[in-house]
This record gives sequence, structure tokens and C-alpha cells, in this order.
Amino acid sequence: MRHILGVDIGGTFTDFALIDDAGEINLWKEATTPADPGIAIRDGLAALAETRGLEIRQLIESLDLFVHGQTIATNTVIQRNGPKTGLLCTEGFRDVLYFRDGFKPDRYNVSLPREKDFIRRDLRLPVTERIDYRGDVLQKLDEKSVREAVKVFKKHGVESVAVALLWSIVNPSHEQKVKKIVAKQLPGVPVVLSSDVLPMIREWERTSSTVLSAYILPGISEYTINLEKYLAANGFGHNLLVMQLNGGTATLAQLLKRPIYALASGPAAGPSAGLYCAERMKVNNVITIDMGGTSFDVCMVTDGHPALTQDMRIHDNPVGVSAIEVHSIGAGGGSIAWIDKGGALQVGPQSAGAEPGPACYELGGDQPTVTDVNVVLGYINPDYFLGGRRAINAEASARAIDKVIAKPLGLTTEQAADGIFRIVNTNMVNAIRVVSVEKGIDPRGYNLVVGGGAGPIHAGSLGRELGMAQAIIPRFGGVFCSYGMIVSDVRLDLVRAFASNTAALDLARINKIFSELEGEAIAELKSQGFPRSRIEIRRFADAKYSNQIHELTIPLPSRGKIKKSDIGDIAEEFHGLHERMFSYCVRESEVDLFHWRITALGKLPDTEARVFKRTRKPVSEAQKGTRPVYSSEAGKFKKTKIYDGDLLQHGMTVVGPAVIEQENMTVVVLGKQTLKINRYGDFVLAIN
Amino acid sequence: MARTSRLRHEGKRTVKSKAKSKARPKSKAALDPITFSVILNRFNTIANEMTLTMEKTAWTSVIALARDFSCAIYDAKARQICMMDALPIHTNSLHVVLQEIARVFGDDIHDGDVIACNHAYSGNTHIGDFVTACPVFHKGKHMFWTVTKGHQLDVGAFVPSSVPAPAENIWQEGLQLPPIKFYDKGKRCDDVIRMYIANMRWQEWLNGDLMAQLGSIWNGRRRLVEFAEEYGNDEIERYSEGILDYADKRMSEEIRAMPDGDYDGVSWLDSNGKGGTNIQIGARVSIRGDKVHIDFSNSAPQVPSANNSSYGVMQAAAGIPILCSIDPTIPHNDGCLRHITADAPVGSVCNAAYPASTALATVGPGDTMQEAVWKALAHAVPERVLGGNGKDGNLPMLSGTDSRSGVDIEWGCLFFNGGPAGGATSKADGWPLIMTSAGMGGLKILSVELCELLYPMRIDRQEIAADSMGHGKYHGGPGVDVKMTPTSGAMLCELFGEGQSNPPFGAMNGTPGIGGGSYRENIRSGKRIYYSSKGRMVIEDGEFWAGISSGGGGYGDPLQRDPEAVLESLIGGFLSLKSTREVYGVVVDAKTMALNIEKTKALRKKLRAARKSKAITTPNVPGYATWVKKSLRSGDEYLIDAQ
Repeated sequence: MRHILGVDIGGTFTDFALIDDAGEINLWKEATTPADPGIAIRDGLAALAETRGLEIRQLIESLDLFVHGQTIATNTVIQRNGPKTGLLCTEGFRDVLYFRDGFKPDRYNVSLPREKDFIRRDLRLPVTERIDYRGDVLQKLDEKSVREAVKVFKKHGVESVAVALLWSIVNPSHEQKVKKIVAKQLPGVPVVLSSDVLPMIREWERTSSTVLSAYILPGISEYTINLEKYLAANGFGHNLLVMQLNGGTATLAQLLKRPIYALASGPAAGPSAGLYCAERMKVNNVITIDMGGTSFDVCMVTDGHPALTQDMRIHDNPVGVSAIEVHSIGAGGGSIAWIDKGGALQVGPQSAGAEPGPACYELGGDQPTVTDVNVVLGYINPDYFLGGRRAINAEASARAIDKVIAKPLGLTTEQAADGIFRIVNTNMVNAIRVVSVEKGIDPRGYNLVVGGGAGPIHAGSLGRELGMAQAIIPRFGGVFCSYGMIVSDVRLDLVRAFASNTAALDLARINKIFSELEGEAIAELKSQGFPRSRIEIRRFADAKYSNQIHELTIPLPSRGKIKKSDIGDIAEEFHGLHERMFSYCVRESEVDLFHWRITALGKLPDTEARVFKRTRKPVSEAQKGTRPVYSSEAGKFKKTKIYDGDLLQHGMTVVGPAVIEQENMTVVVLGKQTLKINRYGDFVLAIN
Repeated sequence: MARTSRLRHEGKRTVKSKAKSKARPKSKAALDPITFSVILNRFNTIANEMTLTMEKTAWTSVIALARDFSCAIYDAKARQICMMDALPIHTNSLHVVLQEIARVFGDDIHDGDVIACNHAYSGNTHIGDFVTACPVFHKGKHMFWTVTKGHQLDVGAFVPSSVPAPAENIWQEGLQLPPIKFYDKGKRCDDVIRMYIANMRWQEWLNGDLMAQLGSIWNGRRRLVEFAEEYGNDEIERYSEGILDYADKRMSEEIRAMPDGDYDGVSWLDSNGKGGTNIQIGARVSIRGDKVHIDFSNSAPQVPSANNSSYGVMQAAAGIPILCSIDPTIPHNDGCLRHITADAPVGSVCNAAYPASTALATVGPGDTMQEAVWKALAHAVPERVLGGNGKDGNLPMLSGTDSRSGVDIEWGCLFFNGGPAGGATSKADGWPLIMTSAGMGGLKILSVELCELLYPMRIDRQEIAADSMGHGKYHGGPGVDVKMTPTSGAMLCELFGEGQSNPPFGAMNGTPGIGGGSYRENIRSGKRIYYSSKGRMVIEDGEFWAGISSGGGGYGDPLQRDPEAVLESLIGGFLSLKSTREVYGVVVDAKTMALNIEKTKALRKKLRAARKSKAITTPNVPGYATWVKKSLRSGDEYLIDAQ
């Protein structure tokens, strides 16, 4: 039996999705181990092996694919707890990061605070050198200036170094020389070059991307390298694949060269997971939501295409590369409820995380969290949290809510808990509105696809507030993104610059560029075990009218050589796109082409989805019993039916109010809502 | 000024004229809150798409990179519904020119029309701003206008600049376009457009920018028609009215929270453009109930150069500081604008009489009028104002011949990279590169690499200038120290700046910015010629241009600034050791860079005791800046309004 495995390290839990070649799925959750994230991965592997009746080594040997994503890099930049980072830049340009593009986001907010730069000004140091726009050296690199700067880094204990020099995109020799000098003087300190990370014109975007890369690299390199070694030592025959922010996967070696792609890599798998279940129901307009322990992630998928952004920013710093557009807020099971200075009840964005965790864990956490609320309101069964693996104490939850919220506000425990529940829901509704309503898109035309252990508790309330009709809750919803990873293709984006024009397209040169880029990509993917038949190449170019300044990316013919007879089609591709996007085009004008790009996809074999037969059994056979569950509308506890999710089968209908318990997630069906199980075993909630 | 204003204020205090705004008739059906948000945000999305079309498809860097343009949506009554990310000087006056366009064409406005205008005496801001307006019809009904205003690289003036400082009248400014059809019922008016382009420099580029601008309003039209198709004309009109009412109601609450009274502020233009210095602009802000009126009567007569304000700029400059003093989340549309009125005598520097030139209206006069309003507001709502923004300085118009490729190509570029900074507030330090209050941070700098690729220049330095900002509990943003060398023969440089001898003010005991300035230097001899904020220079082969722009004004007492924050600014090179000690009273060991808390306490106590009376705004006298005086070395020259 062969297997594929996805592992997603979140802020609170590390999720596992294991599928065998018969389509049988095993899901698993471990508490994330922040000090060494590899521990949770190894523990999870052990648990999965046991479930399958295998030794760990046997399981690892049976893996055809191991995909890994994480939110460690994102948390590092959001919480700004990364290493002390230094920047080397061209003399006279220490403030590229500070100046940005000169733009202030809100014209009318004169007190808008400015996010601090990721590198303090006294650690942004000049090196004496200058290259011009042709790549000619105007001033040779003064190696002494590099050594002087590195001395300062040493004194301040700099742990990671970014190098971003002007015009390194046309002549990277100075950056490369700087790297050698730094490596010699600061052994063990990683050095990231802008010409490696984002070899594109515009110094601010490139510098920012390089600085973010240097800032996140140490946090992800150590444990992933160890993980790869561990897997290799235990018989894993392939490369460890890592999820990237563009929604595809890559090898670890590629990622460590361009660490920027590791940002938000976990959540970037959400749309793949959502689409996987929605498309088989012939639904392709969805909003995927994923509520874990720490954060709530939202992504719009329109006509089967996840929203992509070229303009992703972290605290106003551009990421520079194309990314799946995921909107995240601090709302999860671990989000802490608190009372602000004005006496108003707030929830999050602070999270109790995995340690100390919610009050009910009794691991030292005494702040009430959303999980505590869900326990007190009867949504979560204290005896069946993580399938009973985690003992939780409902009384500890009630105590924390009482002490911190209910007493100070003069409320009952239930009223306080219900208030917290409604506030965290409002925060999540607002996050969904940001990606839909605020872009002029009405969410009522979309389905919700719900993931995360806590997501399905809240989905019915969120959908109701937004007026949405239907929510799809995949059976693997509890480990949403780890599942998305194993249905995401391996993706390699390569780019090369060469100026040409449709009036005199240098076909020989362009075909040579593509043949080199494709050769590189195919060799890489073949080395990962993809036969040529499963490698898909897509070609693109950045095009503009001759005197325009910005470019549009257009697809090019992707099979065989580009021929003279294709040129008309290429120009028309640009005119057409220009017209669709901007309402006009200039067909009589020639078209400049500059960056030549390929996207190489290593296509995964289609994961076999199991189809279930309709059952004739009544839904009562899946009922475990009843318990009092709080009804927000009634303002009191009501006797409510509890179902065992594992016993619910295709053909059954659950009528709310009801709670469905599964090992890795809990689903709440509100009054007047009904939930059906479709032929793939997924839950489909009619919201009302 | 502070004294008189307080007296006036107290004198009027008893006058309580909190007239209740007329209750609007309730629409029959209540607005659904989700639909309301969807429609409000759909307008924003459409305006944003118009903005992207303009930015992404333009041919000159002033539009495509610096973003000197604005897109907005108006209803059929020329009331502003929505603008996104646009420049305040444009969007707070576009209704003035649009109303004139609507008046001129009356019932000759049809589906498929595009009406252009750059004429300041038709309600436009200044000649550089080229307006295109497209009426949007759905089911035969005129529903909206999509309007885009783009600052053109050229206007056909007698010098290669669309902001020609020395112009003495409208005929020297360039080609005047009162409201004129570029498209009539969908048919392109080729003769008109040929005539327009024939009067411009860099015709190919200007034609490209014209296409981008047309694309922008057409894209807006396309989306609005789809939108009307989706919701129906009646529903959209009902919600549009609701959106205006919503802003109106919130604006009303904000103005009512400001104390009724009359408040005065005075600022000065550096020069009349012909060597005469310190031209007064005075604003009286009168707050009554939920209305604000700004009167610029206390201002000098118009000047014999382009440094005059137009009527449209006067309207916008009066209102922008008010809109910046209210909750920024209120949608900026006609519901806000209807609470503000402004006036100035015809023939004054704030409202020039035909045929005086107003080519610099948006920047020098506009920035200075805004400053006078801010200074007045400091007496009314001190906690809401900001230290002065740097006025547009060190933003030259450059031009020349680019022979790098072996072929001579004429080029021109508005160079924003050395721009001044914004002022501080009671809550935050100022931002760098605010450039001008006209843009309020909406203008962008040009990427160094793109600049060097597109134009024959090399940027040698572009960093913050230490001690260039006004100090305070919060300090202004820092100015920029920029140096640039032409790389393909001589380069013509037209300066049209402001605020270098009259620097951005400090508020509530904060200090002013430095004002700054620029010069060209002979690389071999080291001789420098300094220029006042306006002037024409040729940067010859073997010379470079350099300057330091003003930082923004400070807010609050520098002795109240957190010593740790002062230390951070010192280590980062924003402040010198001297100003750390003398202005902020913070004692730092120069060797170890360690903060000495005890000595700091003692020094601050001493400085506080020596402190004179509280200053609501500084300076209140003209010609306050000393940067040029301090920078001049023996043998250097200083030229005022050089031509």
C-alpha cells in the first residue's frame, strides 16, 4: 500500500492528512511544538503509523509524496520576533526601505501610524559600489566598505543578512562578491541576495522581498533541513516538498534559495482543498474559510480560480511575487477574550496558542478563549476533544469566563460566553466582507467551504449573518490545509529578462531562452520523479505598448517552438487582454515584450475520491444521545441531539438544532438549518 | 495672530447657532444594510478600477509612476459619490469644473460624449490638470459621470513645463481648453484632438496619456452600466442618495463637535514669482453649527506670475484641512463637501481675476492656503491639527535630449524623489515624501532604477536629511537629501516649488521644518549656485543638481518626547547629537550611545524653565527659514526667481 501525506504546521496544531492509493483517508492533529516544530511532525508520523498498523519506517518508506506547509514564517513577520537582520545596500540609498514608493495609504488620516521597518536604520549599511542600467560597473566594489559594515553587524550580533544593490538584476557580480565576504567574516550567518530572490527591476520591491526573506530564513531552515534528513534516514525516497504562497509546491532546496515563497504557505493550500470538494459538487464560486487555533483565513475562489495578488504586503512591505490572496485575522479557538480600557468586550487577536492553551487545558492558561466558550455553551464535548485524546475541564472554562469577563461586566457565565461567541463571529464576518463586499462582490452568490477544527462550529452563524445559502464542510475539514497540500501540483516559476518587440521579434533568441528555462524546469521535476507526461509547461511574457511603463503578463503558445506565424496571435493576445482589463487597446501599435516566464507544473496523479452509496438507514442510527446546548436565539440551553460524525452516511439528513462530533472537528447545526451528507461523505449545510 | 484669534473666538462664543439640519424625508423602504455596504463598496471598486486603468496604461512617469491624477464618480447632478486613493486638491474641486461642464453643454449631453477641460476660469484647478468627463447613461437615463483628472507632462506653455512658474497670463500658460467635446455621441472629434495634440511637446507620450485617461473613464462607464443593469436605476439612485445622507449625517456630527467661533491663520508664499517676497495669505475659519465657512479676504492681491490660486483650488484648499480633521472613515463624497463653503475676493492671490495665470495654483498657493486654514484650526481644535506639511519644493520639471541609444529622443520628467515631508500630529510622527498638501501622500516617487532606465540621469544619493524636520513631542517626517547628475548632455530644470523661505509651521510648541533648497554644482570647481523655490536652471555637462527638502512641522513640546524615541532617532541618524541635547533635552553619551536618564531629567527641567510662552503655531512671521543662509559658502551664489 502506497501513501501520500500532507503536514501543515499551524500556530496551535500541526495537521496531518494521509491518503492511501484506495482513497482511504486518515486525519490527525498534534499540538504544535514551537521550540522544535519537528517534534510534532515525528509524533504525528508515529501516531499515523500506529493507526495503519505499521512501523514508522514502513510508513515513511511507503510515502510517494510528503508535502509540508507552515505558518511559522508568517508568524515571525507578523509578531516581528525574527532574527536581528542587517541590510547591505548601495551607498547613498540606505533609505530604500524607509521611503518605500513615497505613498501614504490614507489621504485623510493625518495620524496614520507608520509601521516600523524590518531593519533598523543603523543596520542598513552602505557599501561603496555602483552599476548602471546597462550592467556596466561605474564604481568597483570597495571590499573594505563591506568589511567595515560587517564589523558593525558583528558588534550588534546580526543573525541574518540581506544584500540588495542597485541594478543587481543586470549584473549580480557585486552582490555575489559581497556574499562571499560576508560569509567569510560571519560564518554560519545566512546571506540572501536580491538577484536570487526577485530578479526584477524596481529597487524597493526587490529590497523588501530580500529583507523579508532574510528575516524568515533562519526560522524555517533549521527544522526543515533536519526533517528532510530524518525522512531520508528512514527510507523516504523522494524530495520533501514544501507548500509555497503561490499555491504550488517546491523542493526544500528551491525554497531556501527564495525563502519569500515560504510566507503564508499553509493557508495558500486552503483554496486547493476547498476547490477539490466544491468542484465535484459542480460548485466553483466559493469562499474558503479556515478557523484554526490562532487565525482565521479567508480566500475568494471565483469560477474555479483562487484570487491571486501581485501586491501582497506584510506591514506595508511588498512581498514582490505573485501570491494566493488570503486574508487572515487573529480569530481562532485559542483567541483570548478581554475587556478593553473603555469597558468593551473584545476577542483576539492575542491567542493562547498551544501552550498554555485555553483555560480548559489546565496547562496554566487562565484567560478565557473561544474554545472555552464553545465548551461552556455545550458545542464542544469536553469528553471528546480531539477524539478524547485531550482531557479538558469545562469547569476551568467557566471559571476563566466568570473571572475575566462575566463578573466585571455583571453578566451570567452563559451571557458572557454567548457575547464572546457573537463577537468572534462578527470579527470573522468582517473578514469575509473584506474579501467580498469590500471588493464589490456579493457573497450571497458564493458557497462557504469550511475548514479548521473550530470552523464548522461557527459556519452556520457566519453564513446566516452574511445571507449565504450553503456551506460545504469537507470530511477532512479539521485538517483543511494539510489536505489541500496533497492535491496541489508542484510548481516552479522561472523568469528571464530580454527586450524585444513584435515588429522584429528575435525568435531564435526567445526560443533559446524558453528551451533553457524549460530544460531547467523539466530536469528539476524529473529528478523529483515526475515523468515528462505529467509535466505541464505554460509560457508567459510581460508585454506593453512601446512607451508604456507598466506591463501585463500574457500567455504564449506553450507547445513547440514559437514561430513567425505566432507573432500576430501574441500581439492580439495583448491587445485583447488590454481591452478586457482597461476598456481599450491600440491594435495598430507594436508590442514590447520584456520578461519571459514559464510556470512548470508537476501534475500529481488524481487522488482517488471514494464515492459512497446512499444509505437507507435512518439518521437516528448515527445519534449518540442528547445534551443541553446553548441557543443564542432562545437565550437558554436546549436539549439538543448529538450525532457521531463517523456514522453519518450519504443519504442522511440532520435537522437542527444539532451537534455533530468528529475526532478532529465539531459541526454545529443551528435551528431551522439542515445538513445532508453527499456522495463523497462531505457535509452540506443549508444555512437559512 | 494667536491673540486676535482667541479674542474673536471668545467674542463669538455666545453666538449659538446650532441650527438643526433639515430633516430629510425618509425613503419609503428602509435601506438593507448589506446591500448598502455592497453598493458603497462597488462604487469604490469601480473608482479603483478607473485608477488602475490610468496608472497601468499611461505613457509618462508623472501618471504611471508618480500617480498625479484622480478618478471619481459623480451623479447626474454633478454631486461626488465616490473617489478612491485620489489627490485631495483634485477630488475636492472636481464638482466645480463638472458643474461648469454640465452648465456649458446643458441639454447637449449624450451617451457616448467625452468632454474635456483644462481651463482654470471654467472651474478647473490649474492648466496642468486635464479633465475628461464621461456621462453614463443607462436605459436612456443620465445616471452618472465618470471623471478623471490627470496632470499632463506638458500643456504647450512657453517653457517646457505644465507648471510654468514665470507665466504672466493665461496665454503664456499654454493651450486653454474650456469645456470641449473630444467625443460626440460616440464619434471621435478627430479635428479637436489633432488640434490639442499639435499644441503639445512630447506628442506621442501625451497621446498615450490621453488614451489612458479615456480608457479610465470608459472603464468606469462600462462597470457602472453593468452595475445599473444588476440593481436597476431606481435602486441605485435610492442607495446613492443613502450614501450621501450617511456621510452628511456623520460629517454633521463631526462639525458640531467643533467649538463655534471665528479663527484666523496666516501664511506666506515665498515670492510673487518676479523677485518680490513673502506674499500674505490669511484664512478665517468660521464654525457655526454643522457648517464651516472659510474666508480668504485677509490675503494679498494677485501676483504678476503663475503663483495665484484659481477659484477651484481655493474651494478645495479651504476644505481639505477640515476633511482631515474629522473621522477618516467617513466616505468622502458630496455629503461631506456640502458642509464647507469658501470665498475670496476676485483679484486676490487666492482667487485671481482673468487673465492672470494660475498655473501653480494647486501647489504653492494651494499648499499655503491649506496651511493658513490649518493654523486657524489650531485655535479651534488643537488636538486634531498637524504641524505643517512640507510645501511642494525640490520637485523639478526636467527635460532634455536623450542620445544614449544613438538616436536623439526628446524627454521630459517631473522628478518627485527629493520631495518634502508631512507634519506631525498629536498622535504620530509625520510621514516622509508627502510632497505637497495637494496630494497628502498620494503622489509616489519614481523607482531609481526605472528613472535611470527611462531618462538620461543618474541618481547619486537619495537618503533622509538629518535635522531637516520640525521637532516636537512628535516630529515631522524627514526631508530628502537628493543628488542627481545628467548623463546625456545638458538638462533643463524648471523649479516651481514653494515653502523654502517660509517653512512648514510647528504646532503646539512644535518647531518648523527647515524649508530646504537646492543648487547646482560644478563638479570640477565645486562652485554652487543656489536657487529659490522657483527658478529656471540648466544643469550643464560636468554639473550635478542637489538639494535638501524640508521635513514636516513638529507637534507638541519636544521636551515631552519619550527619551527612548529620541535615542532611536539619534541612532538612526534622523537627529544630530546637538539637536538631541539642545532641542529635546536628552543626554546621550556620544561614545557608548547610552541614554542618561538622570542628566536628561535635569536638562529638561532647565530648558523648561527657560522656555518662553506657549506657541500655538510657529512661525507667525514671514521669511523664517535659514537653510540657504546657513548653507551658502563663500563664492556660492543665490538666485531668487531666476529666469
